[in-house]
Amino acid sequence: MSFGRTIIWLMGALLVPPLANGQGTEVPAELAGTGYFRDQDTLPGAYRFYRQLPGGEGGLWGLGPTRQKLSHASFRVDGHEGVADYSPELRCQKCHTQQTKDLHGLRMGITCVQCHRSQPIAGVYQYYSPLNPIRRHAYVCAKCHEGATPSFASYMVHEPNPIASEARGTFPLLYYAVWFMLILAVGVFLFFLPYTMAWWIRDLVARLRRGSDHG
Amino acid sequence: MADDRTRLRRFTMVQRLWHGGLVLLFMLLSVTGIAWMYFETPWGRDLASVFGDYGDVLEVHRIAGLVMLAGFAMHIVYLLCRVDWKGFPWSLLGPETLVFQWIDVKGFLGHLGWVFGLNELPRFDRWSWWEKFDYWAVWWGLMIVGVTGLMLYNPVLTSDFMPGWLLNIALWIHRIEAVLAMGHIFTIHFTVENWRPSSFPFNAAMFDGTIELEEAKHEHPEWVARMEREGHLGAALVPPPPVPLRICYFVFGYAIIFLGLFLLVFAIANAALLTLF
Ligand code: HEC
Ligand code: HEC
Ligand code: HEC
Repeated sequence: MSFGRTIIWLMGALLVPPLANGQGTEVPAELAGTGYFRDQDTLPGAYRFYRQLPGGEGGLWGLGPTRQKLSHASFRVDGHEGVADYSPELRCQKCHTQQTKDLHGLRMGITCVQCHRSQPIAGVYQYYSPLNPIRRHAYVCAKCHEGATPSFASYMVHEPNPIASEARGTFPLLYYAVWFMLILAVGVFLFFLPYTMAWWIRDLVARLRRGSDHG
Repeated sequence: MADDRTRLRRFTMVQRLWHGGLVLLFMLLSVTGIAWMYFETPWGRDLASVFGDYGDVLEVHRIAGLVMLAGFAMHIVYLLCRVDWKGFPWSLLGPETLVFQWIDVKGFLGHLGWVFGLNELPRFDRWSWWEKFDYWAVWWGLMIVGVTGLMLYNPVLTSDFMPGWLLNIALWIHRIEAVLAMGHIFTIHFTVENWRPSSFPFNAAMFDGTIELEEAKHEHPEWVARMEREGHLGAALVPPPPVPLRICYFVFGYAIIFLGLFLLVFAIANAALLTLF
């Protein structure tokens, strides 16, 4: 692990300073975290970053995920208040199909309540919710990711479909990066696969001709 | 005596070693990476169980990635030592280097014309355009996959330097580039190097470091002619490697090819089971 750390520090030293100077991508001091969860890490000081509201930040941060619409449920102590057919016995996946597609659940088998905690399930922006971005890193992520910082917790656990047009609004950089890579990859195959096939056939023809010349 | 020296030296020992290391690490990274990507499917979990649980798969993947990047760094040092700094930058041009030049544009267009029967096969020198493309494709791939891979190596540490949500993007870029690289190697690279009628069934040039002089005259006529003109063709001719060695190369090569095809076929067959978004 410590070797890996050294490498990442080296990479950070090589890559990040030019970016940080040039384009204002520096992680704001409040988000860098101290590694110890002191008051400054869990108080509302940097709330504006965590709300991830559109147009809030310039530079790279402005291309990150933003919440387009906030529902009232996000601010309720019980996110299921008023949901008629809700019962704690039901499987979460039955209703929340959009939140079942991330690697924490699918690959690591982590259950919803390991992050969303016990009933009643709080809205993610409710002031005292463990998932409130003010303390999400310390109360939720750090259970498994030692030393999680607010910056780390800005990772989108339930990421949007990156190629759907909605992602252009909710997570612009993801949208553009994924489309760029897809076009590159598909372009390479669209060119090389037919080309290689045609080449193979041409090669065979040339070989047969050469063979018959010799004979 | 001259008769058994039918093969032309093409790659040095260091180059062959690096290619071999690249092959081994690429396959290890492919197996562990695909196992992790397909971990939600039974096939992915079976593949992963070769290494242990998912933590072990990820650890092997991470360490193999670091070793590959270390090899890449050594390759860059090697390049810096090989450059002829006296004649720099013009020494970077010429038929012996892998730098793309005008002649490669012509070579590509000529090759395209040949494939469609419009003109003769261009007389390639030491490196044809696709060999240069294959070389630089590793660069571009390693840069993209390497940077995003290092970001994902320790996500918590990475987010000290950049916003954590860049990890969402890093994973997608890493994944698409890896699929591109594997798809390219397991279909196009294998076909062009091994299954074209003129090199079928196996092209051992990168393993024993030599190619048949007859083949070179056909695929790289300008190279052979230039060496003849400059008078060191004779010194570059070597006898074929001993048969046991050739069997080893063949077995190794085809083991890798079958592993690649296995990954390719099962990855495609199981693709519908993947939840991507
Ligand atoms: C009967 C269907 C149903 C089931 C089962 C269900 N939910 Fe919900 N949940 C809803 C509805 C409807 C809302 C309100 C959504 C809104 O108004 O935006 C909601 C809201 C939420 C919210 C707050 C949304 C926000 O924006 O903050 C969270 C978190 C949540 N559910 C998690 C869970 C978890 C975890 C489980 C499993 C223990 C679960 N739900 C089970 C239907 C369900
Ligand atoms: C690794 C931790 C984690 C797990 C596991 C997890 N969630 Fe979440 N969930 C989050 C975070 C963090 C947010 C806040 C996202 C935001 O700020 O937009 C969230 C938000 C939500 C929301 C609000 C709407 C949204 O998408 O932002 C719902 C509903 C929800 N989760 C349901 C679920 C369900 C259902 C499961 C189980 C299948 C689940 N979550 C598993 C971390 C988790
Ligand atoms: C119950 C344990 C648990 C919780 C809680 C949890 N994670 Fe994870 N997370 C994991 C495991 C296990 C992995 C995969 C192991 C690995 O990467 O070594 C992982 C991997 C990740 C990764 C790397 C993904 C990748 O592509 O490699 C990120 C980023 C991440 N988690 C973010 C978060 C965030 C943000 C939160 C808080 C909202 C969170 N996690 C909460 C267990 C957890």
